[in-house]
Amino acid sequence: MAKAEKERKDQTLNEIFGELEEVIKGLEAEDVSLEDSFRLYHSGMDMLKRCSDKVDKIEKQMLVLDEEGETHDF
Amino acid sequence: MQNVYTVKQVNAYIKNMFTQDYMLGRIYVKGEVSNCKYHTSGHIYFSLKDESGTIACVMFAGQRGGLSFRMSEGQQVIVMGAVNVYERSGSYQLYAKEIRLDGEGVLYEKFQMLKHELEEMGMFASEYKKPIPDYAQRIGVVTAPTGAAVRDIMNIARRRNPYVQLILYPAQVQGEGAKESIVRGIRMLQQAGVDVMIVGRGGGSIEDLWAFNEEEVARAIFDCPVPVISAVGHETDTTIADYVADLRAPTPSAAAELAVYDYRKLSGELAEAKVRLSRLMRQKIQMERLRTREYQTKLKYLHPEHKLREQQQWLSDMEDRLRAFMQSKLMEARHRLAVNVETMKGLSPVGKLNQGYSYVQSTAGRAVKTIRDVKKDDRLSIYVTDGIIRAVVDEVKEEEHG
Repeated sequence: MAKAEKERKDQTLNEIFGELEEVIKGLEAEDVSLEDSFRLYHSGMDMLKRCSDKVDKIEKQMLVLDEEGETHDF
Repeated sequence: MQNVYTVKQVNAYIKNMFTQDYMLGRIYVKGEVSNCKYHTSGHIYFSLKDESGTIACVMFAGQRGGLSFRMSEGQQVIVMGAVNVYERSGSYQLYAKEIRLDGEGVLYEKFQMLKHELEEMGMFASEYKKPIPDYAQRIGVVTAPTGAAVRDIMNIARRRNPYVQLILYPAQVQGEGAKESIVRGIRMLQQAGVDVMIVGRGGGSIEDLWAFNEEEVARAIFDCPVPVISAVGHETDTTIADYVADLRAPTPSAAAELAVYDYRKLSGELAEAKVRLSRLMRQKIQMERLRTREYQTKLKYLHPEHKLREQQQWLSDMEDRLRAFMQSKLMEARHRLAVNVETMKGLSPVGKLNQGYSYVQSTAGRAVKTIRDVKKDDRLSIYVTDGIIRAVVDEVKEEEHG
């Protein structure tokens, strides 16, 4: 469980987008049950939220790397 | 008298000498441009001269790709081409394939050699090119801390996506120690952990850009596990770094466009996906609702009440039939009874009494049928149509009826 959690955290936006495509494809299918639809819908919404969370929305200034590998403001 | 040859024969003989000469087939000649004429046909006619003399040169329209600047009088150039004979005038001339401004000449040759060597080693091969991540969060930049390149990258990153982290390794990009500085920058950023890096600088002369043609830099880029975007000088400048990089950007600005994903586009896509998900879900619910309604109708139709009513109808029909049947049976019986009553009436002893007969009963309540049933002074009851006569036996006398 903890491992799965970690894997989810390490997912790239692209990977999440890929999964999202699958979810949408699943929802578009004719024979999917209402229960599965709800499950898919919730997981899709969860993925979207994770996408947004991936982008940490703090404006960043350029940093400068020094010879010791430390970063400083530019 | 010696052999006599035609002009054509001599010219052809000399032309053949030139053609067979290994060195004249591919030669670099440097000198000053003079008598330069750009012909309307696209050919360029000029001469190269130095203090000792001149050589006629021509660059045909088809070779113009080998010239990247406008030639003019007095320029010092290096021309690569073949020397051969122009039979019409019996003169030789240099047929130019490539023309470069001098000063670049030596470097150019070095560039070509290294390019060839690295290409042979497969360092430019597309199968080694790493894909540039679509959504890099940390972007390394190896360039000079001053100058237009770093400013351009910062501006474009801020415009496209202010949330990505740029990390600059302030490198020395030209002069003594430049290549070591660039190599160190690539390694330091790789250790600092970036998703992609831009390695480059703004425009300059071929000497200024030279560090990006060094083998050490090329190898550092090739060995770097992080995808590298090269961005050296202007569109027309191509360095070894550009060939070996995972992606070549024509300018530092373009590199920033390629490395920094557009945040507005991403959030647009997210919003679109959200709308799509919601719409699909709504459609699904709508569909299920419709299906439920359909079942509802079907169930209503199949409800037991419906069946019950049908059976009730049947039952009441049956009841009516039964009743009618019973009625007719009863009538029939009644009719038969009436007939029988009439028949019985015909057979009644009372009827007989009507005709003057009577019925005689002894005291014992028995019908008197013979004289032996009675004796003198016995009491008798005589039944007639309208009552009973009490009588006493006066005499018994036997009679023969024949």
